[in-house]
Amino acid sequence: MGAKADVWQGTLALMVLKTLDTIGRQHGYGIARRIEQISGNVLSVNYGTLYPALLKLEQEGAIVSEWGLSDTNRKAKFYKLTRAGRKQLERETRDWEQASAILARFLTPAEEA
Amino acid sequence: MRKLRALWMRLGGTFQEEGDFAAELESHIQLHIEDNLRAGMTETEARRQALISLGGVEQTKEAYRNRRGLPLVETLWQDVCYGVRMLRKNPGFSAAAILTMALGIGANTAIFSVVKTVLLAPLLYKDPSRIVAVWTASPARGGQSLPSSPGDFAIWKQKSGVFEDMAPSYDHQATLTGQGPPQLLLGYAVSANYLRILGVQPQIGRLYTDQEDRPGGPKVALLSDHLWRTKFHSDPRISGRAITLDGSAYTVLGVMPTGFDYPPTVEIWTPAAIAPAAFDDFKNTYVRILGRLKPGATLVEARKAMNALEAQIAVAHPGTDSGNRVVLVPLPEQLDGDIRKPLLILMGAVGLVLLIACANTAGLALARDASRRKEVAVRLALGAARLRLLRQFVTESLLLAAMGGAAGLLPALAGTRLLAAIFPNDVANLAIPKVTAIPLDRGVFLFAFVITLLTGFLFGIIPAIRATRTDVGDAMRETGRGNTAIRRTNRARSAIVVTEVALSLILLTAAGLVVASFQRVVSANLGFQPKHVLSLQVFLPPDRYPWDHGERTRAFVAEVVRKMNTLPRVQTAAATNFLPLTGFWGTTDFLLRGQAQPKQGQAPSADNRLFTPGYLGTMGIPVLRGRSFTTADRAGGAQVAMINQRLARQYFKDRDPIGQELNLGTADKPNWWRIVGVAGDVKAFGQDQPTHLEIYRPFDQSPVPIVAFTLRTETDPAAMVKTAEQALWSVDPDLPISKAIPMDALASQTLALRRASSVLIAGFAVLALLLACIGIYGVMAYAVAQRTQEIGLRMALGAQRRDVLQSVMGLGFRLTLAGGAIGLAGAVASTRLLKSLLFEVSAINPIILSSTAALLMTVAILASYLPARRAASIDPMQALRAE
Repeated sequence: MGAKADVWQGTLALMVLKTLDTIGRQHGYGIARRIEQISGNVLSVNYGTLYPALLKLEQEGAIVSEWGLSDTNRKAKFYKLTRAGRKQLERETRDWEQASAILARFLTPAEEA
Repeated sequence: MRKLRALWMRLGGTFQEEGDFAAELESHIQLHIEDNLRAGMTETEARRQALISLGGVEQTKEAYRNRRGLPLVETLWQDVCYGVRMLRKNPGFSAAAILTMALGIGANTAIFSVVKTVLLAPLLYKDPSRIVAVWTASPARGGQSLPSSPGDFAIWKQKSGVFEDMAPSYDHQATLTGQGPPQLLLGYAVSANYLRILGVQPQIGRLYTDQEDRPGGPKVALLSDHLWRTKFHSDPRISGRAITLDGSAYTVLGVMPTGFDYPPTVEIWTPAAIAPAAFDDFKNTYVRILGRLKPGATLVEARKAMNALEAQIAVAHPGTDSGNRVVLVPLPEQLDGDIRKPLLILMGAVGLVLLIACANTAGLALARDASRRKEVAVRLALGAARLRLLRQFVTESLLLAAMGGAAGLLPALAGTRLLAAIFPNDVANLAIPKVTAIPLDRGVFLFAFVITLLTGFLFGIIPAIRATRTDVGDAMRETGRGNTAIRRTNRARSAIVVTEVALSLILLTAAGLVVASFQRVVSANLGFQPKHVLSLQVFLPPDRYPWDHGERTRAFVAEVVRKMNTLPRVQTAAATNFLPLTGFWGTTDFLLRGQAQPKQGQAPSADNRLFTPGYLGTMGIPVLRGRSFTTADRAGGAQVAMINQRLARQYFKDRDPIGQELNLGTADKPNWWRIVGVAGDVKAFGQDQPTHLEIYRPFDQSPVPIVAFTLRTETDPAAMVKTAEQALWSVDPDLPISKAIPMDALASQTLALRRASSVLIAGFAVLALLLACIGIYGVMAYAVAQRTQEIGLRMALGAQRRDVLQSVMGLGFRLTLAGGAIGLAGAVASTRLLKSLLFEVSAINPIILSSTAALLMTVAILASYLPARRAASIDPMQALRAE
């Protein structure tokens, strides 16, 4: 569970940051739906795992929350990116791209050999 | 940074309500249901799907909770809350434990605050442990630290090889005039490198240089911070100012920093300016030496090297060998002087009290925890981890200790006040650093905190392990009759009683020895009658009372004594040079007629005391043989002397000393004094110090500038101070009086250290006895409560009251006996550590050992009698029905 969960949490955090960066202020349910739409079925069964991730980002100061009204006039807690969160997003995106580029080179069969 | 922030937020989150998240989840589900409804689901299906994709409300909440707070802190907080509830549930236990801990921790904190103030005070000297005072000591003078000759100093400095630098100094009293009333200053003439060895820079101005420290050099002086503040109004432009010392103009070079106090209580430092010729002088020993050890040289090596060098000098120059040992004392020890050992002993004693307090609380906790065995068993059965339970028990103990520690600050505060009041500050015959305040500062609080934690673990760990080692099945079934778990608890309890008894006995014995020593010291005969004697000490400044011709001094002393003798309510008055119990003394070598000149420094020497006629009568010193001095024994007349009984016994044995002659010069240049009388021995250095050899001579025949006037009064001598001072000032209005004090007050002051130590150690012993008493009572009372049914059964089967009484008291007696035996062994092994506080009482004193043991036994048996009586009056029917 441990390592895998960490990877999942890390990935999820990045997705949350990216989502908030793209669509701006959003509530938990909205973020969950958005991630589900984009990532396919990654989150389809377990919206609940999103909340600890949101809490962690909030504790770290990457996002802030406030209560507001949804499109359907329902009370909901809305999250938005802070300046620190934006920096974190940039940094983690860069890291992620590097990591996946390296992995991609490993995993695709060498052509020039 | 991010991590830290998150940690902080989580710490805060630990104590937050979680209603907010419930609302957020609720809104999440509603939003999802709305979406699902729009997608065409039925109401029920919409809700069901929303909950499925969330993955369970409670699971989500738990994951959220774990992230929000710090689970570790949370359980700790739970344990603390639970602990507080448990403590509130057992108010009797809690109060007893907290009180015990408060007394133990408070007393330790108070004593530690003194240790810290006196022994651990940061020294402002550079690398103080490498600075050593160099003394000599001879067995003949009781190993007292003695100054050295300039000749020895010069050789040591040149050849020792273990010192980076070595510097000479000597006493240099001076009278300051022109700044209000004249004042006698305790001064020291120190060489320029002396201050460099100490490594202290003045707060104002500069130190003097080697060029200024030479014979005929400029007259310069450095002031102490205290002198600068009191006499010069903290003048910031003091350096360069001219002041008058002994009638000569000196230039102030600077002011030493606050807290610079070496040699202790010195107010003014001037250049030593020792002439090179003086370094051939091996006879006069007046140089007090300070050295700095070379890096890498240890104290032990240095001692060896110095004594080896001394041995070499002795071989090379047999004529100048004194046979004295060289003694090196590190500066911190030199400063602590005679209070170090008593303080450490007190620290040890109060540590024992704390141990007893711990044992006490552990005993109480064991008794209490026994009633929680079922609770523990149930929790274990329900799946609680043992470690978690252990943690809870330890948390409870720490909580208790923390409350005890906090409550202990009160007795600590009261204790420091008391200690500051009884601190032996004015003891003239001992070297004790001056203490004006004993603060409870950060270091002391830290100490209290640490010992609180330690005691918490110490008394908490055994009961905790015991309680959590419960066997679930046993505990659930148990009805309280003789199963193994109970027996194990009993063993722990017995161990606690035995420990308490043993520790208390050690402390009681120590206290007994110290108090007995103190009583011997108090009742020791001083050799003079201090009651109704007033003393006034003065130092005659050399500018007005030149040392080389004593005319002025003679006239002054004679006139003051005459005036004092005529004062109302004064029976007699006289003068001497070195007043007993002031710590001042000087010596003179002497030879008997026909004795060959011994090697330099090996001539017998005696204390050199001078007095005016009537002194012995005023002080109440008996004349054993011959006569005392009269007004006829004056300058120019026949030189006469008296000796004390010890000198008479040692050097004249069966012969009559009267009429014999003493040579106070050398064999080549004799200086004969005829003995006219023998005086009784005087304990001039304190009741607990050996009597020196003493030679008395008429003041008029050998006047010196150190003078003490003594007056035997008809009334309270303290009330006569003003009158006596007026009489003195009527002869010389400019003469400062350095001290005016009744002799019995002086005698009492010299006992201050012993008195304080005795009072404290006796107090600790009583506290220990009290705690042990409470502890034994508690443990026995619990043992009885636990055995109620068994006792009831026995009585129902025909046991008599007496049998029950015997059985319970028998246990108490056996435990006390075991503890007593261990305690006696411990006392015998440890009381030798007390040596510095003992006087004419051997460390292993059978009377004190047996009487303290008897006292402790009696108290312990009394403490177990009450529970035994309760056991004996159990109603068998009620006891059997009580299950």
